[in-house]
Amino acid sequence: MSLSPKERLLDTLEKKRVDRPPVICTGGMMNAAIVDVMNHTGHTLPEGHFRADLMAELAADVHDDTGFENFGIPFCMTVEAEVLGSEIDFGSLACEPKIVREPYASTESVQFRNIGAMLDAGRVRSVAEAAHLLSKAHPEVPVIGSISGPISTAASIVDPTTFLKELHKKREPSHRVLDYVSDFLVEFARLLVDGGASAICIGDPTATGEILGPRLFSEYAVPYLNKVIDGIHAAGVPVLVHICGEMRAVKQYIPTLHCDAISTDAFVNLKLLKEEYPQLTTMGNLSTYLLEFGEPDKVSRHAANLVRDGIDIISPACGLSTSSAIGNIQAMTATVKGD
Amino acid sequence: MAKTKEALWQELSDSVLEMEEDRAVAAAEEVVAQGYDAFEAIERGLSAGMERAGQLFEEEEYFIPELLICSDAMYAGMDVLKPHLRQDDIAEKHKVVIGVIEGDTHDIGKNLVKTMLETSGFEVTDLGRDIAPARFVETAKEIGAQLIALSTLMTTTMEGMGAVVRQLREEGIRDNFKVMVGGGPISQGFADRIGADGYAVNAAEAIRLARSLVGASESVAA
Repeated sequence: MSLSPKERLLDTLEKKRVDRPPVICTGGMMNAAIVDVMNHTGHTLPEGHFRADLMAELAADVHDDTGFENFGIPFCMTVEAEVLGSEIDFGSLACEPKIVREPYASTESVQFRNIGAMLDAGRVRSVAEAAHLLSKAHPEVPVIGSISGPISTAASIVDPTTFLKELHKKREPSHRVLDYVSDFLVEFARLLVDGGASAICIGDPTATGEILGPRLFSEYAVPYLNKVIDGIHAAGVPVLVHICGEMRAVKQYIPTLHCDAISTDAFVNLKLLKEEYPQLTTMGNLSTYLLEFGEPDKVSRHAANLVRDGIDIISPACGLSTSSAIGNIQAMTATVKGD
Repeated sequence: MAKTKEALWQELSDSVLEMEEDRAVAAAEEVVAQGYDAFEAIERGLSAGMERAGQLFEEEEYFIPELLICSDAMYAGMDVLKPHLRQDDIAEKHKVVIGVIEGDTHDIGKNLVKTMLETSGFEVTDLGRDIAPARFVETAKEIGAQLIALSTLMTTTMEGMGAVVRQLREEGIRDNFKVMVGGGPISQGFADRIGADGYAVNAAEAIRLARSLVGASESVAA
């Protein structure tokens, strides 16, 4: 009997043998709610960022139209920053939400809010409710709750240039803010798990080797990512982590992350990474450039290469452009599924 | 005993490289107190230090946070020295318009490129972040820029870069400006596709590209 998409993903994350790799797109920074899908179904953004029912419907549309074998919610990475105090521009159909202004000029001026109150604020409950609606209606499909990583979240509430400098110059307040943000992220993720999320994906695009370098990556990114991962593991679900950009400078630290799968950008040769660290469950990394500008044939060849290279979970390499062609994404998912 | 100007240049350069803002300010104040030439101190001291920092960045010894702190030290020293520049020091420079394309508010990469361009003797007009394509074109015309530098970190906003090039073409002024692009999702392939003149993978590379696009020689700073 063939595996359900949820069984296939969870088995893969437990390093069990499966018939073929799952092909997924996690939501969050790897949002797959592209314009082609929304135009076809009429469930649209930015409305879908707010209402649980619309979020669930749009996530289901993405699943149905693209062939990705999961539901990925939310469709942005601003849910956390919003309740932590940032001003958000919710964007449009084609343009994802973004931070308009970070509320704090320095890590020293961050005001620590009550975590319980933040869980009742903004869109936090809507995302959890969407997870609930999706998991009830489609128990065989994994709901992936996507959250922003601790470094990216902290750099969304403190002016990011200052934040990066203070990782050097004001270490104690930097640690305090990251600890606070991590505590909140664990509780947010747990609400998503309570709602019915089968796995959590942490996208931390600011925590890259290119930006931080090895010293700051090991001092800040590794411990706080692990703190969040451990907190989510305690709630009983696996965790995927996406690291953006070129990884060479911090590659040695990747095996020290406690996550169940590591997703990387298109520059990283996942086959070589896997050869060097066979213990890693790898995820990725079909070029989003190719998905936007390429042809279905070429997308299909690249997807087949990833499967042949033994990549454990096939996924876009980074955030998809909302103007990516649905035909390219279908070529990717169909190839992996062997349709 | 008073330090020689060469010793102060070295001190300025080292304090930028070693990320010590207060030390850069103190050395700059001493340059002024000794009556040494401010322009030389900027070129041979502060800019030279920033170039050394850029070198360490290329060698992956320094990363973005370190470069940001170095540039703070450089600007702090610069603030002390600038009022003491003589009128004839302020030569005609190559002009650049830089900014982050509309829809995107990530500006750390753009800020670094801006700093390095200023260090390398460009006159930079920084439009900031979330900037409509038309504003790049308007500003470039207005100030007579040679170069338009566009940055974005988001795949969703890349097309705005293409819109800048298209507008230049439509107005028949494409050849008046060089356009360079950079940022996380950008590649040489993308730059070619939209008809930009160049792509740089990081801030250090961006400076080399900018110099070659405007036909400028390597900086004299040692």
